[in-house]
Amino acid sequence: MTERWFPDEMPMPAASAETVGWWEAAAEHRLVVQRCTACGQMRHPPGPVCPVCRSTASEWSATEGTGTVYTYTVVRQAFIPSLADKIPYVVIAVELDGAQGLRMVSNLVDVEPEEVTVGMAVEVAWEDMGPELAVPRFRPAAGGESR
Amino acid sequence: MVGAVSAVGRAACLVGVGETRYAKWGGITGTSEYQLALQAVLGAIADAGMTPDDIDGLASFAEDRNEATFMAADLGLPELRYASLSWLPGGGGACAAVANAAMAVQSGAAEAVVVYRSLCQGQFRRFGQGPGNVATRPGPPRVPHVRRATSLLEAHVGFTMPFGMFSPPIAYAMVLRRHMHRFGTTVEHMGHVAVTTRAHAARNPRAVMRDRPMTMDDYLASRWVSEPFRLFDCCLENDGACAVVVTTAERAADSAHGPVALLGAAQGALRGFGHGQYSNVSMPDDDYASAGARQVAARLWAASGIGPSDIDVAQIYDHFTGLVLLSLEDFGFCGRGEGGPFAASGALSWSGGSLPTNTHGGSLSEAYIHGLNHVVEGVRQLRGSSTCQVDGAQTCLVTSAAGVPTSALVMARP
Repeated sequence: MTERWFPDEMPMPAASAETVGWWEAAAEHRLVVQRCTACGQMRHPPGPVCPVCRSTASEWSATEGTGTVYTYTVVRQAFIPSLADKIPYVVIAVELDGAQGLRMVSNLVDVEPEEVTVGMAVEVAWEDMGPELAVPRFRPAAGGESR
Repeated sequence: MVGAVSAVGRAACLVGVGETRYAKWGGITGTSEYQLALQAVLGAIADAGMTPDDIDGLASFAEDRNEATFMAADLGLPELRYASLSWLPGGGGACAAVANAAMAVQSGAAEAVVVYRSLCQGQFRRFGQGPGNVATRPGPPRVPHVRRATSLLEAHVGFTMPFGMFSPPIAYAMVLRRHMHRFGTTVEHMGHVAVTTRAHAARNPRAVMRDRPMTMDDYLASRWVSEPFRLFDCCLENDGACAVVVTTAERAADSAHGPVALLGAAQGALRGFGHGQYSNVSMPDDDYASAGARQVAARLWAASGIGPSDIDVAQIYDHFTGLVLLSLEDFGFCGRGEGGPFAASGALSWSGGSLPTNTHGGSLSEAYIHGLNHVVEGVRQLRGSSTCQVDGAQTCLVTSAAGVPTSALVMARP
């Protein structure tokens, strides 16, 4: 098991036929984005049709697992009781490197809330929430410079 | 002042408004949310000088538990000729529902349509409270750790909930953080919205927060929810209902309080916007750090034949203080990134501001009825009966929620 930052009671993801593959990759600690095999456009969250060329063909494309903080918030209210001793925690939108500017929602861990900045370089840090559920958090990139 | 008064003669009109009492969350327990909806509708019909026999249409917007089919039966409508539900979500759809009602009466599909919304969050799940409908273990058999989404939105928030983005204030705090980063917006800028709106509510006997004065110091002392949002940046969650009657100009001519004309309306979403920043963080930067309403605004001004400088009073959807600033920018009352300084200049105040805004107290301080109460206040302003009446008000802008697919309208005194 990996290091843990969030409690067991965090909501499990709900998935559709189009999004479940992303979570299957995550269970193997692979951070992927959906890529249209017809025109190459990447998209996240995953969907059934490419909004650029309207192809239904797609694949899971590996990312570099690094990116920068696009925006963030420091959450200071425990919206579920088991977060009471985990607040404050940081939610970020991370702009993934090498992914056509795509962003995803995640968390920034191993950081003091007041140290978070827009543009901070980050890298993925997997958290196994159970035997078959892994959630990609991010931590400040080792030796990373803000961009 | 009104550049297109000639259009008013043909416009659909708002002729009746109805409201139940507004109470804090869980404050109404003896009356069901559904019964409150019926009461608000009946109140609006009576206010118009009509009876239910005059009504042949009902219109609402997404996230409504109170189905028009049952409403029509329980109101004893002679015949239901028109019933519509806008796809625009919760806060984004109030103006769209009014516009849909107007299109129905202008096309002849119906003669008089009531738009309604009832919200008793004490009787149901509290939206802002977090992952109330998100199951915990165990999941379905195919993938043991993931459960099946029962809606498209639920599949999308499958990419936010596991990260603790449980609730709208968290999602929109991130929008404001980006706006601050780009434009230098401050928490004090947002505080001006909270304090000004509360001052308006103090004059309004219906307002849930009428007896709770607020200074900037009070605002700055309120607890953090999700930075940069404090508790006082977030709208109320409460119980109550309201409704508006829309009919033809011909029919409106003999209404009890005189007609208010719908000068123009627009609705929609930007390309790729989806459900807005609540679930989409990959949209273009200029869309993300905005209300997402600039195209709706452009079409609204074109449809109305007037512009921002012609507006006497505004009711701007205020689920969060900061998003009011972004709406002011998208609708052209100030430049891009200037929403904060505009609010800080005192512009929004009924007492001497250049654009008196949310003169009822808004969702922050009157009541959270998904912004249909903003339409009601607009009608009151143009009838001259607001508790923060703008002298001689001829035009009122009403907007629905920023940050989701949205709608807006301009009403005018004929």
